[in-house]
Formats: sequence, C-alpha cells, structure tokens
Amino acid sequence: MSNTPLMRRGAALAAALMSASLALTACGGDGDDTGVKAAETRSVKAAETRSVKAENGTIEVPVDPQRIVTIGNTNLPFIDLGGEPVGVTEVSASDLDVLPEGQRTVYEAAEIVGSSGGEVDLEKLAGLKPDLILVQFHSSDWDKVGKRLEAIAPTVFWGLDTEWKAFADAIAEAGNVADALSRQKAEFKEKVAKIQAAYGKIIDGTSFVDVSRGDWSDPGTFYIADIGCSEIARDDVGLDLPEAAEGKDPLAYESLPFEQIGELSKYDVITYPVDAEGQPTEPFVPVVETNTWKALPAVSSGRALGVFCPGNNSYGPVIRYLDSLDSALATLPAEK
Amino acid sequence: MTALALRQDGPGTETAPGPRRRLFGLVVALVVLVVLLVLSVMIGSTAIAPSVVWDALFHSSADIDQFAIRDFRLPRTIAGLVVGVALGLSGALIQSLTRNPLADPGVLGVHAGASFAVTAAVGLLGVRDAQGYMWFAFGGALIVTLLVLALGSTRQGSSPVVMVLAGVCVGAVLGGAREALQLTNPDAFDAMRYWNAGSIVGRPLEVVWPILPYFAVALILAFAVSGPLNALALGDELAVAQGVRVVRTRVLAVIALTLLAGGATAIAGPIGFVGLMVPHVARWIVGPHQRWIFAYSILLAPSLLLVSDILGRVVMRPAEIPVGVVTAFVGGPVLVALVRRKKASGL
Amino acid sequence: MSTRIPQVDFGRRVLVLRRRRIAVRLQWRSVVVCAVLAVAVAGTAVLALMTGSYPLSPGQVLSALTGRETGIVHDIVVEWRLPRVAAALVFGAALGVSGAVFQSLLRNPLADPGIIGFSHGSYTGALIVILVVNGTYVQLVGGALLGGMATAVAVYVLAYRRGAQGFRLIIVGIGVSAMLGSLNTWLILMADLDQAMSAAAWGAGSLNGVSWDQVVIGGACIAVLLLLAGMLSRPMRQMELGDDAAASQGVRVWPARLGLILVGVALTATVTAASGPIAFISLVTPQIARRLARTAGITLAPAAFVGALLCLASDYLAQHVAPTPLPVGIITVVLGGGYLGYLLFTEARRRL
Repeated sequence: MSNTPLMRRGAALAAALMSASLALTACGGDGDDTGVKAAETRSVKAAETRSVKAENGTIEVPVDPQRIVTIGNTNLPFIDLGGEPVGVTEVSASDLDVLPEGQRTVYEAAEIVGSSGGEVDLEKLAGLKPDLILVQFHSSDWDKVGKRLEAIAPTVFWGLDTEWKAFADAIAEAGNVADALSRQKAEFKEKVAKIQAAYGKIIDGTSFVDVSRGDWSDPGTFYIADIGCSEIARDDVGLDLPEAAEGKDPLAYESLPFEQIGELSKYDVITYPVDAEGQPTEPFVPVVETNTWKALPAVSSGRALGVFCPGNNSYGPVIRYLDSLDSALATLPAEK
Repeated sequence: MTALALRQDGPGTETAPGPRRRLFGLVVALVVLVVLLVLSVMIGSTAIAPSVVWDALFHSSADIDQFAIRDFRLPRTIAGLVVGVALGLSGALIQSLTRNPLADPGVLGVHAGASFAVTAAVGLLGVRDAQGYMWFAFGGALIVTLLVLALGSTRQGSSPVVMVLAGVCVGAVLGGAREALQLTNPDAFDAMRYWNAGSIVGRPLEVVWPILPYFAVALILAFAVSGPLNALALGDELAVAQGVRVVRTRVLAVIALTLLAGGATAIAGPIGFVGLMVPHVARWIVGPHQRWIFAYSILLAPSLLLVSDILGRVVMRPAEIPVGVVTAFVGGPVLVALVRRKKASGL
Repeated sequence: MSTRIPQVDFGRRVLVLRRRRIAVRLQWRSVVVCAVLAVAVAGTAVLALMTGSYPLSPGQVLSALTGRETGIVHDIVVEWRLPRVAAALVFGAALGVSGAVFQSLLRNPLADPGIIGFSHGSYTGALIVILVVNGTYVQLVGGALLGGMATAVAVYVLAYRRGAQGFRLIIVGIGVSAMLGSLNTWLILMADLDQAMSAAAWGAGSLNGVSWDQVVIGGACIAVLLLLAGMLSRPMRQMELGDDAAASQGVRVWPARLGLILVGVALTATVTAASGPIAFISLVTPQIARRLARTAGITLAPAAFVGALLCLASDYLAQHVAPTPLPVGIITVVLGGGYLGYLLFTEARRRL
C-alpha cells in the first residue's frame, strides 16, 4: 500500500531516464578497483582490448565485441546505432510500438534477460556467454548486481544522469559502432539548423510549454514535460520552454491535477504528445477530451501542436522528433 | 487467544438522547455536509473566485475556470459524496452484523477482496471496462465477507478477535496475491492504477452513475433490516424470541454490505477507516439504535471523506495526496484510541 | 541447539544425554521432528543449489562446491546461489526463533514483530534517515532498526492496559501501521525521486543479490543471538507458567524477560537490516513448530528449523516457480497468511 506512489514515481523516472535530463557527463572515474581487476583478468583471454572510461572506472573491453548484452536504457540506443545485442532487458510495449521495423527485428531476435534494470536474471545472462555488457540504470541497482555483472564479462555502466549526447558517444565507443554515430550526429546538426533558420522569428517571441501524461500517471493528473524531447527543443533548438529551478526535481516529476490545465492559458503555444499517426497518445487522450483543454486559447486558435517523440536517448529517435517538430511548427498560424 | 469481553447494551439501557435531539443532530450533520460539499467545490489546487464557482454552477458559460469547476471539482465532490455514503453505511452494517465494534470493511479484508477480484479480472481474464470491474468488485467483496463471517463465527455467536484476525489474514493473503499478479503482469495494470490508491480524483461520472442503483437497493435493504439488527444485538435467541428471522436478516445485511463495500471500491479503490470511525461517532451521539446510526453514518461519512480530500488538496499544492492516505493517517490514531477505551462501545 | 525441559513436563518420552557433567534431557518427539526438519531443509537447500537458469549438472554443482570449478560456474554456485540459500536458511531460523521468543514472552500467539508495526516503523526510520539526514548505508540500517523498535515499543505501550491483550495488540498494531504507512507515502511524495528510490531499494524485502558479506556478518550476529536464546530458553519455558511460578523455581524474572526481549528484537532487526522485512514467518513458525512437536509451550529448536524451511521454500517458490521472480516477502505473506487462516478455520470448527 505504502509504496504505490513510489512505483508511480519510479515509472516517471524510468520514462525520464530516456531523457537523461541533468547535464552531466559520463566520466565518473570513481568506480571501485575490484571491477577493473575482474575485467582485466578476463581481458587476458580476449585477443585485443582497449580501455573505456565510464562510471564504474576504466574498463578493458574487446576491440571488436561480438556478443553484447544491453541492460536497462542501453537497449534501444545501442540498437539505434546499428548494434545487434545477443541479450536485452525488456522495454515497454509503448517504446516497442514506435521502433522502426528493422530495429524491432533486432530487438526481438535478442534473448530477454530481465524485466527491468535491477531485476536481471544473472544466470541466464551468464548462459549467453557475452563478451561485453552495457548497462544504464539506477545506481542502487548497480550496487546490487554490478559486481556480479563484472564477474560475467567486461561491464560498462552509466548512471541515469548521463546526458544523452555523451551517452551516445560512450555507447558508440564501447560497443564499436562509432561510424553510425557520426552519420547521425551530422544529420542532427543539419536538422536543428534547418528548424532554426525556418522558424527563427516565431521561436524568438513565443512562449512554449510542453505537457504530457504517462500511462503511470494517476487518473486526473498530467505534468509539464521539461525533460525528454522538450529538453532538446529547449536546449538545442532554442524554444522558450519552462524549466525547473536549479537543484530541484524536474517539473515532470510533479503530477498536476486536471484543474491546472487552465493555467496553461498563459503560454502562447502548447505542445503535446502524439503517436506516429498524429493522434494524441493514449494516456494523453483524457486531457484532450476535457472542456478546459478545448477552451484554452492556444487550443482554440490552432496553437496546440501535437509532436511525436519516439525516444530521446539516442540520435535516431531524436531526429524523428525534430522532423515532427518541424512539420508541427509549419502549421502555426502566421500572426500571433 | 484472549477474547474481548464485549458488552452488548440493548436499546434503552443507555441514557440515549431523545428523538428530538437526535433529529436536531441529524439536521446539524446535514448542514455540515452541505457546507463541506460547497467547500469541496470551492477549494482546489487552483484559486478560483467564489463568484466564478457560483456562475459555473448556475450561469454556465464557456469560461475556462468554469470548466475546471464543472468538469473536475464537481465530479470529484459527487464521487466523494457517493463513496462516503457507501463507506459509512457499510461500516455501520458490518459492525452491527458482526457485533464487532472494530469491524470495518478495510480491516476485515473486504476492500482487499474487491481489489484482488478486479486485479485478477484484469490480469487473468482481460476485463477492461468499468462495468466489468464493478461486477468483479461485488463478487470479491461478497466472497471475502462470507469467508470472514464464516471464519469468525461459532455457534455461540461471533468472536471479534477471531474475526478481525481472519480479516487481517484474508486481507494480507489477497494483498500479497494481488501484488504478485501485478508484478508478473505489469503492462496490464497501468490502466487500473487507482485500484491501489484509494482516491476520488479523475473518476468520470460515467463510473459513478451505474453503481448508484445498487447503492439505492443497499440503502433500502439496510434500513429494512435495521430493526431486526437491533434485536440481533441482544443475541440470536432473544432475537428469535422477538420474532426476528435471523437468517433472512443476516443474508439481507450481507447483500447490502457487499453492494456498498464492493461499489465503493469499484469507484475509489480501497479507502480504509472511514467505515470504522463514523459509526462510532454516530453511536456515541445517538446510542444503540441502528436506524439512527445508519442515518448519521450516511451524513457523517461523506463529511469525513470530503474533509480528508480537501486536506489532501491543500497540503502539497499544486500536487495532491490521495484521500485514502489522509483517512488512514487520521483513522489510525482513532482506532488506537477506540481500542484503549475501557469498554469497547456496545452496539 | 538443545532444549531443556522443565520439571513439570511429565508423561512424555524423554531422551537424556549425559556427557561429562552436563545432562541434556530432550523430548523424544522434538528430536525426531527436528531431525526430519533438518533433512527437509537440507533437501530444499540442495534443490535450490541445483536450480537456476544457467544450466548446470548436479556434478558441476558438486564440484563447484568442493572447489574444483573456476570461472563462471564457480561464481554461480559459490558466490550467487550458495549465499542466497545460506541467507534464507539463517534468516529464516532467526525469524522463527524471534517469533517463538515473542510469543512465549507475551503469552500470545499473535505477538509478532510484523504485527506490532516493526516493518512499517523501520521503513519510516529508513526514509527519515535518507530524506532528512541524507545518511550513509550504516546510518540507514541504524535508522531502520531504531524506527522499528520505537514503533514496536509504542504499539506495546499503547496496547498495554493491565497486560497487553492479544486483541488490543493487533488492533493497535493495525492502527499504528496504517498511520505510519501514510506517513511513509507522504515522505516519499515529498522526497527527491532519487532519494526515494534508494529508500525503496532497501524496503523491498527480498533476498535478491544477497552477498557473502551480508550472510557472514548477519549470520555471526544471529549465531550469537541464537546461542543466547538457547541459554534463556529454560527460564522462558518456566515463565510461560506465570511469573510467580517461575520465580518460585528460582528464575530471576525481570533480567530474563529483558534478555529475551532484547534477543527477540535483535534477531528480527538483524534480518530486517540485511534483507528488508520478510513478513509472517515469525508469526506462523512457532505455531507450526508447536503443532509438529506437540509441545505444550513454545520451543525454540523446532521453531528454528521450521523457520529455515519456510524461508528457504518460499524463496525457492518466489524465484523458480513463479512466472517472474518475485520478492520472497510476497510468498511468505500468502503462505503464512493462508496457514493462519487455516488455523483459524480449524479452531472455529472445533469450537462448534
């Protein structure tokens, strides 16, 4: 009974994780030595190794790893970079739904070794005989299983507060898929520049807000999304979006009752989550159906934009998000 | 296992207030309830002027604040009223039925039964609509009520100790089983999260309306058996001597109880302690007269629920605390105080 | 682990062991029951060691246990499966004995650390340490123990009224637990998500990822405590007959009672610190043990074996039989609660 809100908030976190909101880099450097030693003893067997820096120290990984297992939030970003893991942990059905066909095939070909981050079936994982394990989950989960993962194979661990670009760099380096990364990076830069050039005027004088609802949200609540895709819109594209005060939990962690929908009238433009077909996502439908939503000035004047956010922890989905944002901004009425 | 010696005070053995004072009290309770209903519409996480609230209710227009009142505050207030009535009456019924001053649909595991039944329906049978939930909630509540009554009863009558124990056991087992079901099948349960929470937020009135007829039936049944229940409080044999049909009375009371407790859970999820506290207050005011206790419980329970809900809205603004959490916080100490009283109040 | 039988217990077959000057009188049935239970525990332990999703032959498991395997096979058997089995066994025994001590001491079959609010209180303690003090893991465990004990004491005191009656004890426990439960919810809502997550990691009540460190440290504490409990078991049995009767037989009642309380709380606390709250074992075990050994009062040795068996079997079910691995606490709630319900049912029938 008592841990229900935590489970909800945990789900919020899990969703937020994809966004890796806090701008920190991946270089922890404070890992313990035992893991490194374990990795080193094993690396003797591998023909060639190189060292990678991550939150659990400097790890010797195979130059060309063949059997990679991804755990937690590394699953989809690694596949997005063209990687083909032999083992993965479960991702939510909603994430799977928006995965491109090819990536989905890769995901489904891999063995499932755990439900979510902390609950990894270590024996099954060991049975896959991996030569590299890539992990991103909560540090308390790492405290539980980290040593055992390191006993199975060289393990690279990133905490949840790893910024997504640095995370993509690190995964690409550890998993030896750097080529795909540089292509994606170039495309990302180009897209951002294009949006800024096309809508610079609108962006300058307009206040935006991004609202959302997850399937974990309590009935009758929504939240202001300041992490995830909207963080990219704010920090990379330069939209004027609300942001939590320094040192506070992101706004997205606070469930707001539907009454607060009326407060959104102070923003010029509202963005909300839609699926690939442009329909409001299932959890968000109750918001759209409220009369308060329909009465919002932004909504009634065509300034509520549905934006498709297939993921925000690697370049592939982010590029698809930027495409969606691009076409959404194009529908904005000219005058304010 | 030490038994609590439960003194049964029949009607008239206590210095109970006269009918006029009881009626006066009832009016006061009604006024309090109305005031709280108004407050529940007035107070919320956004500040909306009373004049706008008035207009929203009586001169509706497309103003955005008016929608907030009509679409959110009003439905949750109605849900609070309906659920409160059901909780209060079901508490009064179960206490009188079991002759157990500490009985409560929550403590006796009835809520847990309803929750488990719904979880099983969603997880194993794939039920997805609110109507479906309702029937499973009724079924779960009924089975647990019968089970707990059976476990806690002997030929000499029921034993409060064994009954509470049985309720705690059944509740714990079903709670564990429900948790296991949820852990093994997480995706299926996102849609029905409020089953764990005990909250009256975000229930569309379409969930509330279909349950009202059942509540109406339960209400009629409850008052129909209130006389016989009075007699039963003196013991089965005395009741039989007074011409009460014991089995029929019990069966009807159980049906009413099941409809109320199951329906309340179907709307709000498990909310504990309201059904425990309110009948005590009622009994304290009117003495051991079931009909009056029922009437008072019907008015006092929604008041308690609404106060708790309003508190939950304001203490963490703009976020909210589910009402079940607030009632547990208030109800826990009340339970302790009750059990520490020299004589657990008779029925 | 031997139990001395007080002089008043006549009419049963008694086994008397004499070695040097110490004579131990054991009840025959208890010895047999304990032996059978020990075999069952060993069998379950072997089964648990053999089972897992990494395919290992019994031969490999055996050779890993005898140190003839290296690498991952050694790790799986010796570093992963074995500490978990050992933890289930030792913690289960500790919980069983703790429950037996409590129930004997309070002469009440419902006196259980869980029922009297220990787990909710310890979670509150842990949350406060994490959220207010932002403390280390050791402080967290300390806070949890303090919170748990404070709650247990508070419940006992609140329920005390010319003796802490069983009924009142449970009801007060329910009330206090409900209140602490909402307090915990509120604390979690107020907390940073990150902090709340690390508190939850502690409160899960699972044997997942138990390491040798925890088993060795916890096991050492538990061994000492079990020894103390064994030493106090004689006065414990005598006090079951009443304080006056015990005093007349030369038992110093107050020191003995205080010692037993400390041992009982410390046993539960040690387990809770290592694995989070595992419900219902301490409540149910003494009852099962009493029925198996057919003793009049509570006996510790059978309770220890029953507790170990129960915990081990529950963990096996939780890990390998359930469709997805579950925390052991969920299984113990269902099994323990179900058994208690069954007891109530049969007692209710007998009264008819």
